[in-house]
This record gives sequence, structure tokens and C-alpha cells, in this order.
Amino acid sequence: MRAFSGELFKTVRRPAVWVCVVVLLAVAVSIGYGIPWLFETFGKLPASSSSSLPPGTTLADLKVALYPANVVRQTVQQWSVLGGVFALIVGVLLQGSEYGWSTVKTLLTQRDGRLVMLAGKLGALAVTVLVLVVGMFAVDVVSSVAAALLDGKSIDFPGAAEFAKGFFALYLIYGFWALFGIVLATLFRQSAMAIGLGLAYALVIEGIIFGVVGGLAPDIVNPIRQWFPITNMSYLSDSFGSIGIRGIRTVTAQPYAGPTHAVIVLLAYVVACTGITAFLVRRRDVTS
Amino acid sequence: MVETHGLTKHYGNGIVAVDRLDMVVRRGEVYGFLGPNGAGKTTTLRMLLGLIRPTAGSALVAGALPGTPGSLASVGAIVETPAFYPYLTGRDNLKLLAIYCAVPESRVAAALEQVELTPRADHKFSTYSMGMKQRLGIAAALIKEPELLILDEPTNGLDPQGMADVRGLITELGKGERTVLVSSHLLGEVEQMCTRIGVIRKGKFVAEGTIDELRGAATITIRAQPAEAALRVLTAEAGADNVNTTGDGAFSLKVDVNRTAELNRKLVQAGVDVTELGARERSLEDVFIELTGGEAGL
Repeated sequence: MRAFSGELFKTVRRPAVWVCVVVLLAVAVSIGYGIPWLFETFGKLPASSSSSLPPGTTLADLKVALYPANVVRQTVQQWSVLGGVFALIVGVLLQGSEYGWSTVKTLLTQRDGRLVMLAGKLGALAVTVLVLVVGMFAVDVVSSVAAALLDGKSIDFPGAAEFAKGFFALYLIYGFWALFGIVLATLFRQSAMAIGLGLAYALVIEGIIFGVVGGLAPDIVNPIRQWFPITNMSYLSDSFGSIGIRGIRTVTAQPYAGPTHAVIVLLAYVVACTGITAFLVRRRDVTS
Repeated sequence: MVETHGLTKHYGNGIVAVDRLDMVVRRGEVYGFLGPNGAGKTTTLRMLLGLIRPTAGSALVAGALPGTPGSLASVGAIVETPAFYPYLTGRDNLKLLAIYCAVPESRVAAALEQVELTPRADHKFSTYSMGMKQRLGIAAALIKEPELLILDEPTNGLDPQGMADVRGLITELGKGERTVLVSSHLLGEVEQMCTRIGVIRKGKFVAEGTIDELRGAATITIRAQPAEAALRVLTAEAGADNVNTTGDGAFSLKVDVNRTAELNRKLVQAGVDVTELGARERSLEDVFIELTGGEAGL
């Protein structure tokens, strides 16, 4: 508890953490709602997109995605990777800076053992991720209400169970990313390399490898791909369904695996990241 | 308070940083851990704090294994440069440590006062000078009122006034029951602060004792002619083992310095002309150079 309180004390006072939270929320409002609403209110539907939409679809029809009924689906599906990048950065900052500032030696010469100190840090990280997830849902709910009010639409939210499911899914996804940041920072004992590799993985590596190879030989790639984290985030977010436009739901390919599989795989990654970090923290000499 | 038995640290590249170190630091003393740069002092202190795992051997610190809660609860330490969170103030950095150590927050103000940092306590750590960082490091080490203070090169990077202040502070802290283990490569510093000294060279312990014990007994230096006759007389009076011929034609005798007049008389009676005669006490610097083979670090 002492270690947790201490970690929380310094996390809430750290400007970089709040910058990450605020930037993510600002991006969520602007890219998730502000810009689409402006475009769909004042713009024109590109001719090339009409073929993938139900006949007679107008831009105003697309606004249905911005209304409260779709808020859970929008939050989980739009922000699992991009928001996850911010969670990754927070994870790296919390652990990597200890090496950068050499405060790891200060931490480990206080009172509690190494694993207790790590548990305190993971506890503080869990709270920070919770703030991110609550913040994401809060700004999306407010934005969706604003969009509905501006367009004179009714405010119908999904049920509590849908909210709970969405909240759990996003918390699991961000939790994975944050722990992935922690394990990379511990492995490299610094922030720069951890953020660089983390971003490369999140935005490029898994997507490109499976995107290219998967197109050539899906029967071989899909059984392998089902065990990778970003793929499982897709399985999980796809389980929230697609948005109905003019009463017709967009048809998407059936995911290779379902949400239960995704939750199990992501939980396994969470456990693995925690275990690897604990092993490294416990075994390694502190020489910086 | 600190006891090591065969403490050893090998690194993967074949470097033996610390080699079978047997060290005892007694309760209440200010123990100087002296050695040239790279001798293995910091590695040893890191092992005593549980930051580095020994390759072989064992240590007990405050009666418990290094790095365990039982040991850490009684130890305050600075290892090399004090490291704190740059975005927090000095006071908040200490508050944080107070939370980790479960000590009352009132200790923060007392520790800041003790190192005379109160006027700058509410400025961010990133704005501190080296001297202020070092003071905050000492305050952090003191916050849990430890029985044992482990200070690694606490005057590193300080200006002369800062060094004098920190030395004075350490001397004060060492009064009473508290034990202080301070490492340094600066001889004068250790001589001023410490009651007992251990000297390490290339990872091995080469000497341990009080400053007087390390200096050894004073010697008598004699220059006389003819040298052969003088050597005969001195060997007869002091014993062959206690007479050394120095390179410049003088003799060095390990005898009671009160015998100076008597030796002079015997030499004169034997027809030897004495041109120089006097007692000489070895400086700690002489001892250090002898023990460390004249490596850098004075």
C-alpha cells in the first residue's frame, strides 16, 4: 500500500502523464466527433464511397455513428489502437523515466523489496489507465449528446450491459498497451527505445506483416495471426457489431476468432508482460 | 552493523569488480571506505544495498540480508549522484520518500532543516545546483532516521565550501549511536571524518584499521658516516629486522622515538659522525600510496 500510494503521489503530479491524457481526449473529441460532424454537415459524399454504402445514402445518414446509440461501439472500435498508443506512452513514461533519471536506485533503497515496489507501480498504472478509459467514454458520451442535440435527434444510449462490456474491453486493451510499455521500458532500461519500438509495433509491424502475407495465404496466416495482440483487439472490437445506415448494417467479413478468444489471449499477454517485468526487475543488477 | 564475508562480484566480461571482501563496520563508528577511482567501492556499496547481486560471498547489513525490508528499514543511503524526480520540488521528493518509508510527514521539514535546504525546498529539483542536490540526497538518507548511513562519494562535484559543509555535516551525523559508512577517493576527506578506514584496491581489501594503526609507528631517520660502521651500531642496537637502508644513504629505524638521544650517543661513541637524526611519522598519504600502488585518486 505504501508503494502504491507513493507511485500515485508522483504520477498525479507528473505533467507528462496529464499531457498524454488531455491530448488523447482532445484527439478523441476532434477526430472522433468534431471533424466528422463538420464534414457530414457541410461536406459532400465522395462518389467513390457510394458503392460501399446502401443506395441513396447521404452524408447526413452517416451521422448516425456520432449519436449516443452508437457511443460504445464508436469508442471501442475507433480508439483501441490509437488510444492504446497513448496508454503505451504512459506505461513507458512511468517505468522508463526511473532508469533515465536513475531514480530506480532511490526507489529500491527505501523500505520495501523490489516486487512490492513494482506492484505499487502497476497499481498506479492501473489507476492511470482507468482515468484514460473513463475519460474516453466521458468525452465520447458528451460529444455524442452534443451531436444529437445539434441535429435535433433523440438521445438514446445503449444499455448498461453494453456500456459495461465496452468499458471492460477498452480497459483490457489499454491495460495491455500500458503493460507492453512497461515491459519494453524495463527491457531497454530507457524510454526512447521503448516508445520507438512500441509505436512501430502498434502502427506498423503487426499490421504490415499480416496485411501483406495474410493477403497471399490467408489459410496459413490466420491460424497464426489469431494469437497476436492487435488482431485480438480487432476481434474484440468487431464483436460490438457494425453501424446501421438507413436501417441496413454494413456487411463485414466474419472475424477468424470471437471475443472470448480475444479476451483470453489479451489477458494472457497482460499476465506475460507482468511476469516478464517482474522477472527482470527482480533479477537484474541496478548499475545506473 | 555491516559484515561481509568473501563478498565477490564478477562481471560477464571477465572483470572482477570486488574480490573476496571481508569487511566489518562497527556500530557507532564513522567508517571510511577508501580507494582509487574504479577500485570497487561503489560496487561494494551497491551490494550492501541490494542493488547488485554478489557473485559469491555474503553480507549482513543491520542484521539482515542486503536489499530486504529488514535491512532497508535501518539504512539511509546515497549512491553516487543523488537521483530524484526533476518535476517535483525538493519537499515533494522527500514527502514521496516519507510515504515509501512510512515515516510521518513532519520528518520532511526536520530533514530539510538539518541540511539547511528549507529556503529552496519548494523549488523544483531540476533547478537545484550540485551542492543542493547533494544536500537533498543527505536529507533523503536521513528521513527515516536510519541507524546506518551509507554515503558514496558524498562530496563529489561540490565546490570547496560545499565539500567542507558536507564533511562537517557527516562528522555531526556520526556522533552518537549512528553508524556512517562513507566511501571516498579523497584521502584528506576520510582523514578528517572517519574513525576507522578500510582501503580497497582493484577489488581487494588491502588494509583496515584506525588512522594511527594504518600509519604505523613513527620511524627514526639517521644519516651518518662511515655508513658501514653506522650500520653495525644500529643493527646491534635495534636488531637487523628494524633497520632499513634508504636509497639516499640514510637509515630508517623502527624503534621507539624516545631512543633518539641514546642512538646518537652510541653512534658518536663508535666514532661515527651523525649529520642528520630525527623522528618521522608517516602520513596517511604515504600509506595510501604504498597500499594502492600510487594509483590516481588522491
